[in-house]
Amino acid sequence: MHMADALISPAIGASMYAVSAAAVAVSAAKIKKPDLSESKIPLMAVSGAMVFAAQMINFTIPATGSSGHIGGGILLAAMLGPYAGLLALAAVLIIQCLCFADGGLLALGCNIFNMGVIPCLLAYPLVFKTIAFRKNPVTASTVSEHSTGSAKQSKSAHFRITIASVIAVILALQIGAFGVVLETSASGIAELPLSSFIILMQPIHLAIGVVEGIVTAAILNFIYAARPEILTNAAFPHHSNAVIPGSDPGSSPSTQKKSMRPILIVLASATLITAIALSLLASANPDGLEWSIGKITGQTELDAEGRVFSLLSGIQERLSFMPDYDFKSGSGSGTSVAGIVGGALTFALAGAAGLCIHLFKRKRRTEA
Amino acid sequence: MIANRVHSIYALENLSGKDTVIHELDTRVKLILAFAFVIVTVSFNRYDILGLIPLVFYPAILIPLAELPAKILMSRFLIALPFCAFAGITNAILDRTPALTLGNFVVTLGVISCITIILKTFLCVMAVFLLIATTPFARLTRELLRLHVPTVFVLLIEMIYRYLGVLSSEAMSMSVAYKLRSVSSKGIKMKHMGSFVGQLAIRSFDRGERVYAAMTCRGYNQDQGQKRGDRSAVLFSGKNLRVRIPVGQLIGLVIVIAIFILLRIFEPLSMLG
Repeated sequence: MHMADALISPAIGASMYAVSAAAVAVSAAKIKKPDLSESKIPLMAVSGAMVFAAQMINFTIPATGSSGHIGGGILLAAMLGPYAGLLALAAVLIIQCLCFADGGLLALGCNIFNMGVIPCLLAYPLVFKTIAFRKNPVTASTVSEHSTGSAKQSKSAHFRITIASVIAVILALQIGAFGVVLETSASGIAELPLSSFIILMQPIHLAIGVVEGIVTAAILNFIYAARPEILTNAAFPHHSNAVIPGSDPGSSPSTQKKSMRPILIVLASATLITAIALSLLASANPDGLEWSIGKITGQTELDAEGRVFSLLSGIQERLSFMPDYDFKSGSGSGTSVAGIVGGALTFALAGAAGLCIHLFKRKRRTEA
Repeated sequence: MIANRVHSIYALENLSGKDTVIHELDTRVKLILAFAFVIVTVSFNRYDILGLIPLVFYPAILIPLAELPAKILMSRFLIALPFCAFAGITNAILDRTPALTLGNFVVTLGVISCITIILKTFLCVMAVFLLIATTPFARLTRELLRLHVPTVFVLLIEMIYRYLGVLSSEAMSMSVAYKLRSVSSKGIKMKHMGSFVGQLAIRSFDRGERVYAAMTCRGYNQDQGQKRGDRSAVLFSGKNLRVRIPVGQLIGLVIVIAIFILLRIFEPLSMLG
C-alpha cells in the first residue's frame, strides 16, 4: 500500500504532508502530557521496530500461493494507544522511505495518512475500542479476573478482541485503499479510470484485510492472555493501574469526552482532504464546458488568439505543478525521431560524465 | 531472504561515513536538494519524457562524485520498481492513442507514459538514496529537530532505527528455529502467526523496559534536556544546533536549483523535437 513518488503530483504530496504533519504534531503533544509517562517512548520504539520486523516475515496466503505481510496500524494502536501508535507507525514509514525506498519522499504524507492516521486515529477509537471495550468484559477481566480464572469471562473478552480487530483492520484497509485511489487519481498520472481503480483496489485490500485482521486478532489475543494490562493501558491511559473489578472505566465521563476529540480532528482533516482532492480532480478533468467544446470542434481547447497569449499560456502550462490531465493534444505528442535521438544522446552523455568522474577519482586515489 | 534484509537495513548508512565532496555538504543543503529534485521530477507531465531525460545528469554526476557503488543503488531501485511498473504497464495497455511511428512500430501515448513513470521512479529513488547514503542518520534526525519536529517523534525515529537490527535478528532466529521444526513447509503457517508475532511483541516489550531502566540508570532525563533549551542533548549528541550553512554551499545550492527550474521551463530536448 506504499505509494511512490512517480504516481503523485506535487500538489497532492504537499497537501497530504500538511495533514499528516498536523496529525503527528497533535499526537506528539498528547504524548507529552504527564499522564502518558515518557517511559513509554522506548516501548513505542520497540513496538515500532517489531512491526517493521514482523513485516519482513512473509506468510503464505491460503489458496493463492502468494505471500503477504501485516500492516500493523491497528496492532500498534491497540498496544500503545492511538497517538503513540500513530507516532510509531509514522516513524516506521519514514525509515522505510529513506532506507528501502518503500514509498516515496514526496508521497510520505500520503503514506502516513493512509496507513497511520486512518487506522490509529479513525479505525481504532471508532471501531476497535467501541467493540472491544464497550461494556466492561475486557477491563473487568484484566488483572483480577484473569488471575482468579473466570474462564467464561476471558473467553468473551477474547471473542470481542477478535471481532474488534478483524472489523477494524478491514475497515482501516478499505478506507486506506480508497485514500490511495483518490490521491492517485487526483494526481492524474495513472491512466486507470477512477471506477476501475476502485474495483481493482478494494477487493484486493478486502482479502488482505481479512488475513491481516485474523493475524492481528491472534497477536492481540496472545498478548492479552500473557499481559492483559498492555491492551487496557493503551485504551485507557488514565486508569492504568487502578482497574477495580466490576467498575466501568470505559464509560466514565472523562474518557468519553477524551475519545471524542481525535474523532473530530480526523473528521475535520478527512473533510479537508476530500475537499482538496475533489477540487483538484475537478480542475484536472476537462470540465463540462471544455468537453462540449471538444465535441463541437474536435479539440479540447480553442485555438489561442495571438502570439502573446500563446506564449503566456505556454509558460503557465510549463510552470503549473499540477500536470494537466488532458495533455494529449499538447507538446507531449510532439515527440519525434529527433527527440528520441536527443534523449538517447543525453543518456549517453550523462553516463559518460559519470564514468569520467569515477575514473578521475580512481586515478587520484591510486596516485595518493 | 530475511537475513538479506537485516543486512540491507544499514547498508546504505554504512556508506555515509566516506569522505567526499558530497558527504561534506551541509545536511540542510542535501535535504533541500533532494526535495527540490523530487518536486521538479514529479512535476513533469506524464507524456513529457523528453523534459525528464536531462535530469538523469543529477544521479549520473552525484553518484560517482560521492563514490557510491552503483550496484547497491540499482538493486535497491528494483525493490521500489514493481508498483510503479504495474501502474505504468496499465497505462500502456489502456492508452492506445498512437503518438509516433518508428518504421513498423507504432509507439502509443500509453507506452510513453509507462516509460515516464519508470524514469520518474528511478530518479526519485536515486535522489532519496543519494541523501541517505551520504548523510549519517543522526545528522538527518538533528535536522528534523531544527525544523521543530517534536522531540518525542525524533527520538522515536532514532530509537526505532537502532532497534531494527536487534529485533530483526531476533525475528530471524525465531523463524530459523520455526523452520527447523517444520520441515517441507514454506514460511510460517497462518495459524502460528499469532503466537509467533505475539511472542516477538512480548520479547520487545520486555526489552524496551530493560533499555529504559538502563537509560535512566545512566542519567537520561528528557525533561532536563529540554529545560536547558538544549534540545540536542536529548539525542546524546554534542553539536550545536545553530550552525550557518557555508556561503559557498549556499550559492551552489541556488545555482543547482536554478538549473532545475530552467530545465523545467525550457526542456532543452523538446526544442529538438
